Amino acid sequence: MNPSYYLFLAALLFTIGALGVLLRRNAILVFMSIELMLNSVNLTLVTFSRIRGTLDGQIMAFFVMVVAAAEVVIGLAIIMSIFRTRRSASVDDANLLKY
Amino acid sequence: MLNNYVPILVLFVLAFGFAGFSVGAATFTGPRRYNRAKYDAYECGIEPTPQPMGGGRFPVKFYLTAMLFIVFDIEIIFLYPWAVAFSQLKLFGLVEMALFIGTVFIAYAYVWRRGGLEWD
Amino acid sequence: MPTDIQAPEILYGPLSPMLIVFAAACIGVLVEALAPAARRRGIQVVLAVGGLLAALVAIIVQRGARTLTAGDAIAVDGPTLFIQGVLVVLGVLSILLLAERGLDGSGGAVVARASTTPGSREDMRLADSDAMQSEVFPLAMFSLGGMMLFPASNNLLLMFVALETLSFPLYLMAGLARRRRLLSQEAAVKYFLLGAFASAFFIYGVALLYGYAGSVDAGKIFDATGDVGSNDVLLYLGLAMLAVGLLFKIGAVPFQAWTPDVYQGSPTPVTALMAACTKIAAFGAVLRVFYVAVGRDQWDWRPMMWAIAILTMVVGAILAVTQTDVKRMLAYSSVAHTGFILIGVIAVSKAGLSGTLFYLATYGFTTMAAFAIVTLVRDSSGEATHLAQWTGLGRRSPLVAGVFAFLLFAFAGIPLTSGFMAKFAVFQAGTAGGAGVLVVVGVVASAVTAFFYARVVVLMFFNEPAADGPTVAIPSALTATTIALGLAVTIVLGVYPQPMLDLADQAALFIR
Repeated sequence: MNPSYYLFLAALLFTIGALGVLLRRNAILVFMSIELMLNSVNLTLVTFSRIRGTLDGQIMAFFVMVVAAAEVVIGLAIIMSIFRTRRSASVDDANLLKY
Repeated sequence: MLNNYVPILVLFVLAFGFAGFSVGAATFTGPRRYNRAKYDAYECGIEPTPQPMGGGRFPVKFYLTAMLFIVFDIEIIFLYPWAVAFSQLKLFGLVEMALFIGTVFIAYAYVWRRGGLEWD
Repeated sequence: MPTDIQAPEILYGPLSPMLIVFAAACIGVLVEALAPAARRRGIQVVLAVGGLLAALVAIIVQRGARTLTAGDAIAVDGPTLFIQGVLVVLGVLSILLLAERGLDGSGGAVVARASTTPGSREDMRLADSDAMQSEVFPLAMFSLGGMMLFPASNNLLLMFVALETLSFPLYLMAGLARRRRLLSQEAAVKYFLLGAFASAFFIYGVALLYGYAGSVDAGKIFDATGDVGSNDVLLYLGLAMLAVGLLFKIGAVPFQAWTPDVYQGSPTPVTALMAACTKIAAFGAVLRVFYVAVGRDQWDWRPMMWAIAILTMVVGAILAVTQTDVKRMLAYSSVAHTGFILIGVIAVSKAGLSGTLFYLATYGFTTMAAFAIVTLVRDSSGEATHLAQWTGLGRRSPLVAGVFAFLLFAFAGIPLTSGFMAKFAVFQAGTAGGAGVLVVVGVVASAVTAFFYARVVVLMFFNEPAADGPTVAIPSALTATTIALGLAVTIVLGVYPQPMLDLADQAALFIR
């Protein structure tokens, strides 16, 4: 089977994630879309690792996973703190800063 | 050659069978009490719309525990490649891994001492 | 049959500046865990400043180092050491700003307890106490360590890890303001969501470049660009994605939208760290990617960077004119400066590289001092950042207003300030590198920015102060040191820039 199908799948997932970031209004869902983008990167890395026949891509996927986990923790902490203040996780309600 | 895939096929059949059985059995045997909450659309996660101020306490400790779990759980991922190549990496790999675990323990010490592991 | 794995050779000498900063950050976390609450702040300040000064000594000792180490993942060369040196000194200044507690009661700029709900009774009580979240010092040190690693990364995966190491603490620190906490938390959410979005693009670019070259070493990618058989679609897509992540960090148009909001909402010392140090580190990474990894393909990426530089200068300058808040004005001015510095990057020459390095150093010190001044002008609710509140400041406090005016002149690039020498250096390199059009746009944009800086100066000196205007707080030695050093560098590099220009010139060679 042609491994480049996985690349197209990953590109599709990345696009879905990017659209999710742009279209969703709930900070948690925006955040989940970013995680989807990172996971599509992992799929790309592993596929290229397979195509190239080197293991580097698989090890890189580990690093991306760890960074994604750290990002989850930082992100949840920040979103939690603003949610406790505002009782809302909508990014449209965060509108104090402009001009 | 396709024989290799038979166990996976069996697993699929079992999984679908179990799911179908569970749902079916619940429909026939479970009690049915409908109320307003049950008719609401189901959405998980934090409510995206604002809720009244002072609408009850917010259970922050679940999030804290989840966050700590994610961090310490995922750090373990680096132990896998090291364990696979342990004998080839020799002393260098052991020292590096000890350093890595040491730095993770610094974070652990912080969480422990500052009460991050206490439930109440 | 598994073969023995060769352990990578690690040269601890050239790595020592980064190791010292990261070690100080780790010890800082231990201090938070073990030291009694009352003494933490003092220990943290000494530890952070001591660690950074030790790193500065290490950089001076290693000044001649030109080497790849840790399996070719880290390049310690002239640009790396120059940028690290500037970062460490600016890092000390921003730590001093964070440690200042004479301005806002006795608490300083950082929140007493980040977990309290803003506006609650407990929050009100703590805001006037002398408590502070002293974790901010280890966070700043981790961030600075990431910034030092960022331009040194010769491996794009390591560059991604460094990018996140410098970003994560900043996301948290953006939300730690003592006053106007809602604004601060909002800035943190915006910075986090947009920053994470941009870094996802960065790592996708890395993945595509891995597919292109079979490796993420800058040197290997450079080799691959010389092969005829390579798949150029992967190269262009990967480079474009990578550029999105990098241009976000330097705040170039069209990825500048976060800058004003985050600069305004964050505690001002953190804004100073972000504006000065992050930009320097990110430009170091931009230089390494575009000069080392894809230096051979400059005819492919230069048109894209041309468009971005022009947009950045024009949008930054024009939007700065319309601002009514000092911090937002400085944010848009930093966007315009990004455009000017990009001219040096686009020149792709030794002169362009040394001009960029020189510009980064001058910009960093001037910015640091300017934000330090912003922390001084206060009213009862905290910092008074609205421009209307600065009316007549020169009558009330001629010294502070005079220093701020001088720094604005340096931003505008008036002769006898460091800003003039820096602009001269990059514009000259740009002209020599065939970017004449860019230089013309740059000069026009400079004129526009000079206009609004002049407007602020007129506002401060030639208007009557309002009766209930803000007061200028008397800073302790900490903030005073930061302002004095930033001002001194701005003057000295404007009057006698030759030693610094020579230093940048000697440093301006990447190894591959």
